[in-house]
Amino acid sequence: MKALSVSNVGMIYDIPGGESVEALKDVSFDLEAGRLLTLLGPSGCGKTTLLNIVAGFLAPTTGTVLMEGEQITKPGRDRGMVFQQGALFEWLSVADNISFGPRMNKKRKAEYAPRVEELLEIVGLGGFADKQVYELSGGMQQRVALARCLANDPDMILMDEPLGALDALTREKMQGLILNIWKETGKTIILVTHSVEEALYLGDRLFVMAPRPGRIQRDYTLPFAEQGLTADARELKLSPEFAEKKEEILNMIWEMEEQIMGTGA
Amino acid sequence: MAGSKGGLVGLFKRGGSQNDRKTVTFGDASAVRSLPMYSLLALLGLVFFWYLATQPFGFPDDFKATVDETFQVAADDAEVRNQERIDSGNPNLIEIPFLDPTQRDYLAACAQAPDDQCSSSDYSQFLSPSKFPSPGDTWVAFNRLRTRGFQNETLAGHAGISLWRVIRGMFWGTLIGVPIGFAMGLSSRLRGLFDTPVELFRPIPPLALLPLFIVWFGIGDGTAVRLLIFASVWIMIIAARAGARTVKLSKVRAAYSLGASKSQVLRRVILPNALPELFTGVRVALGVSWGTLVAAELVGASSGLGSMIFTARNNLRLDVVVVGVIVIAVIGVLMDLIMRFAESKLIPWRGKG
Repeated sequence: MKALSVSNVGMIYDIPGGESVEALKDVSFDLEAGRLLTLLGPSGCGKTTLLNIVAGFLAPTTGTVLMEGEQITKPGRDRGMVFQQGALFEWLSVADNISFGPRMNKKRKAEYAPRVEELLEIVGLGGFADKQVYELSGGMQQRVALARCLANDPDMILMDEPLGALDALTREKMQGLILNIWKETGKTIILVTHSVEEALYLGDRLFVMAPRPGRIQRDYTLPFAEQGLTADARELKLSPEFAEKKEEILNMIWEMEEQIMGTGA
Repeated sequence: MAGSKGGLVGLFKRGGSQNDRKTVTFGDASAVRSLPMYSLLALLGLVFFWYLATQPFGFPDDFKATVDETFQVAADDAEVRNQERIDSGNPNLIEIPFLDPTQRDYLAACAQAPDDQCSSSDYSQFLSPSKFPSPGDTWVAFNRLRTRGFQNETLAGHAGISLWRVIRGMFWGTLIGVPIGFAMGLSSRLRGLFDTPVELFRPIPPLALLPLFIVWFGIGDGTAVRLLIFASVWIMIIAARAGARTVKLSKVRAAYSLGASKSQVLRRVILPNALPELFTGVRVALGVSWGTLVAAELVGASSGLGSMIFTARNNLRLDVVVVGVIVIAVIGVLMDLIMRFAESKLIPWRGKG
């Protein structure tokens, strides 16, 4: 059974003035369990809309989304979310943020406390349990967000530009962390990003999406994520294969942008 | 180097190691702070000005001796009379002389002197004791109010009555206002339902309702507390409504995808997230309540600081009025300081999300 099966999903938003925008049109794909799918595309291509539909925050206008054969109708703890930033609870300590999910699901402290410790180590925040989240840097906050999501042991992790607000160095480190977590937990991950490099490096599958109407333009299966687990990230990103793909995708997106400018004006 | 920053001079200088190294600070808001020594200076200045304005001047030297002597006799007499009253077990009848003793005795001396030796130009002040008591008189009145009281209550008693009314008013105002505000922030239907009454009642100055409240609830606690509920509830509704709406969609969504139920999202996300706004609401409402209460007590109560001031005015006891005014100001400042302290302890994340 496919971990995720999206068929003929369409999404039409009504905007004030009687017009409507086709954020997604006829999107279909299957995703096997344990894949890391990255969604890439210019603004307005519907990548975040697609992620929100899978998360259950939005109901598509047409089509169905099945997870393990069951229709997704609302958010659930089988699908963890990691947002760009500011989705942590400032009034809770790092440890309390991470244990939020288990506590909401009425788990006993003895059940989740060891796991929280373990997760802190995994994301490299050992010893930070009692810190307040606003005392942490942006990169550390995203580590907490990742750990909070993992604490619920979801089948799938959905990330909406999780590294978008980080500086370049922190970003590279976090990419490595995401790859490691992906490998170690074997979870299915869908990650939305604006960065071509990030999409190529992290995605073992990559959708380049196009706007107006939002749709999947190209569906790549990539080797870099697998290689990135062992090889050096910088060398990998400098390899000819990586550069070639990056160029190809950049051109594709560049053309889309040109088209938008052309028809829009 | 570091030693030069200490000492008395340091308290008057713009502090902070960062500011010391800045070459341009005019227009740099972060370099401007309130230097405490200047605040103290302003306070001393105010008291000094008050002292000067109530000080007699143009007083002939030879009169002074006479007056001092007369005053001593009069003061001794007063002490004896007061002691008699205390002994007779009726301390509430004790009078605090509202005239400046110096002036009173000068007038006494005038009465005995030939007309041409005593004219109003000999004795003058910017503020005569019949219009504004001097700092010394006020201090005396403060101490008497503190120990012997006025209107069957000590000063602390009056202040306590007023404070307790404010606390009760705020308690109910918050208890009623916060759920309504949250409802308005979270549901379109309830927003529509409550919008009209809130917008209609909010602009009404609570004191405009005082006559009605006195008719309905009589003079005393009932009227005062209900008026304060009316004063605070709209502020708390607006604060809670704003607080509920400041929650980031991503926080709510994160909570739902972590398995939280609606009521858990309300209690564990929306409520704590709204605390900074609620706190601001409480601070504003407390300030408004305090002002409203004192005004309401002038006519709507027979105890409390406002009532004390009103009765004192009727008896031309301006020293008591001034003490009351100062106590009201000081309590207002203290309440705000306490709230600011509580805020830094209870919601340290404020402004850091």
